[in-house]
Amino acid sequence: MGGRAENAPLAVGFLTVVEHEQHGLFGGFLVVDARGRPLEFHCTAPVKTNRAQEILFGPTLASYLYGEQIGHALFASAKHRPVLACIDSGPMLAMRGHVDVPVVLIAAADGTATAGTAAALATMPAPQLRLDAAHPRGPRLVSFSLGQHRLALDADYAGEQAAVVAQLEPLAARWDLSEPFARIREAIDEAQRSGR
Amino acid sequence: MSDPPTAHWSWQPPAAPRVLELSLKAAGHAPRAAFSQSDWPAAPAIQSLDLSAASKVGVVSLRLPKPRLKVSSFGFPLAWQAADAPPAGTHSPPSGPPPGTPGAPPPARGTRIQPPKDIIKLADRLYYVLQPSLETLVAGSGLQFPFQPYPYQMEGTAFLYPRYAAVLADEMGLGKTMQAITAVRLLLHAGELSSVLLVCPKPLVTNWQREFHQWAPEVPLTVVEGDSAKRRWQWQLADCPVRLANYELLQRDHEVLAECGRTFDLVILDESQRIKNRSSTTSEIIRSIPRRRSWALTGTPVENSPNDLVGIFEFVSPGVLDEGMKPRRMGQVASEYVLRRTKDKVLADLPPKTFRDADIELAAEQRETYRMAEEEGVVRLEKLGESVTIQHVFELVLRLKQICNFDPVTGASSKLERLSADLEEIAASGRKAVVFSQWVETLRTLSQRLQAFSPLEYHGQIPTGKRDAVLNEFRDNPRRSVLLISYGAGGVGLNLQFAGYVFLFDRWWNPAVEDQAINRAHRIGAAGPVTVTRLLATGTIEERIDQVLREKRELFDAIFTDVPGHASSGLTQAEIFGLFRLFRGNEEV
Repeated sequence: MGGRAENAPLAVGFLTVVEHEQHGLFGGFLVVDARGRPLEFHCTAPVKTNRAQEILFGPTLASYLYGEQIGHALFASAKHRPVLACIDSGPMLAMRGHVDVPVVLIAAADGTATAGTAAALATMPAPQLRLDAAHPRGPRLVSFSLGQHRLALDADYAGEQAAVVAQLEPLAARWDLSEPFARIREAIDEAQRSGR
Repeated sequence: MSDPPTAHWSWQPPAAPRVLELSLKAAGHAPRAAFSQSDWPAAPAIQSLDLSAASKVGVVSLRLPKPRLKVSSFGFPLAWQAADAPPAGTHSPPSGPPPGTPGAPPPARGTRIQPPKDIIKLADRLYYVLQPSLETLVAGSGLQFPFQPYPYQMEGTAFLYPRYAAVLADEMGLGKTMQAITAVRLLLHAGELSSVLLVCPKPLVTNWQREFHQWAPEVPLTVVEGDSAKRRWQWQLADCPVRLANYELLQRDHEVLAECGRTFDLVILDESQRIKNRSSTTSEIIRSIPRRRSWALTGTPVENSPNDLVGIFEFVSPGVLDEGMKPRRMGQVASEYVLRRTKDKVLADLPPKTFRDADIELAAEQRETYRMAEEEGVVRLEKLGESVTIQHVFELVLRLKQICNFDPVTGASSKLERLSADLEEIAASGRKAVVFSQWVETLRTLSQRLQAFSPLEYHGQIPTGKRDAVLNEFRDNPRRSVLLISYGAGGVGLNLQFAGYVFLFDRWWNPAVEDQAINRAHRIGAAGPVTVTRLLATGTIEERIDQVLREKRELFDAIFTDVPGHASSGLTQAEIFGLFRLFRGNEEV
């Protein structure tokens, strides 16, 4: 993906994964302009893991599925180049290794967070490690506040914090940065309904 | 005590280790000559494992190829217009409901736009599903509201926004104008509209101008007016996002409009009951305007019969409704297009509206005049026999109603006495009252007889250019406590929420029109409770009309089932004949 064209609008990407009991994981990617309007939307076919993946990927399965497989595939579909990718689940941070823009984890504005979000990870109790099993390892996070929002980056990319703040600060003043994830979930639901 | 036992230690060098050399390499071919037989250790038992057998172990390979994930993609049009939006705060907020909190972040769960059912294509539906909340759209575009809209108003705007065919049928006083303007404003900023035509009754043009300036100050509004040359130029203007014209003017200009060959992105009809009669010239002209979207605004989608709604739908979405439909079915079909809310449902904080039915006994001379007129009139109608027409009956009804107001000979009026008494109390308390009548003549008489209250008049004989001044005077001058107003001129569009009392000096044929009148005062911004007094002459034609109208309230409910108790239907021809027990065949006609 090349740089942003002279007249192209500022684009920000929002990615989330919805887990469906029967079908598996659906990924959704919404690219919006600076006013929160949709520029493009991408969603994946359902992804279902098999037993071999569960055994062999072990604790890295979530980051593989969310970040590498779904996140990367969605991001590669974008026609507008987002200046950064906003996510709402920790395992998606793994996509940072596959895209060339910052990936930032956003906690819900109301303080609630699903598993793997910045807030949830921050309050997670210390894990009990066992010698006879693989050690669970979540991403190491660098978290920070932006207005009413709590954000986090993979610690390996902590240096991107200033750039993320510079991009998101004007947007966060005008709209709720966690709101687009709800839109993605609704759109995935709408797409599923239309497919029935 | 004995000596401790002495340990006797003797050290001996350890036996030399026995070294056995074994060449595995040449075990089978050792040079026997180098060793004697006795030196040769016992041959160890060797068991061999054929390592080559390992190559025969079955291998199961788990392939973990990187799957190619199917991704569905949807692109949406860009909107550039918002870049032209003026900076926030370029206009001062007017007086009204409590102001919002400019600059405060919008609520996390704002008002969302839902795609209507008639949008089928997934990409089109997703376009609306993926739009941010209205609050985000407004904040993101750097726009401001003069004051914070009510949540139901945002919902009304979200209802209109995605629709190509819509009827906003909120009860009078809920702010249909504001909702329509806000929807237009957001669509203009989204680049989804570039030419809009607003059509309203002539007396409401200034009201629309004022509301537009308030709710969309950055949007240029062109009021089509002036001589024919000027109007032609205004119709032909290319860069004109919103035009405002009145119904009467469109009748004169429809040919010019047709010559322009313009297709409007949106045509909005205010008080759209004007086109309820499909065969009327107004309806035909309006329906002939080329357009992509059609919105109708009305507080009374059904005035006289369900067919009124059919007439409006011929503009909004032709063919969706037809006259043969049962009211219930019509309501079901229309529900996707119609949004109607009532004040009692959405405005919990609106001051209450109290009805007082003032049953008036006619003065003696009035009663005598009335009795004679009725008897003579009925005798005359009966003499006409089969040749009697609706006009004959109508004339008698009007004459009797006028007598109920004033005795034509003596000027006696029980209603006036009651009204005067009430107005004294109202004026003394510094409150204001609006008095409605269907006749200008009655209003003129009232004006003379109520001089003590310095009443103002607002009706068809007051020049249009002076009407706003009348309303301003009534609002701003504390000594002007009474406004005499006709149903025709003041029934729609006026904001008189500073008046706490409404008097219906005589009754209109149609409760919906009465409601329109009452809601001039009982609307958003009403400072206190509104008391409505309906003056009704007992034992007269007024009482009979009232009874018929009460029985007809169920019709509206049948169509708009979730809106109880709203009256909208007027009298049919049969019912007017029936007022005097005139029958034709099996039915009252």
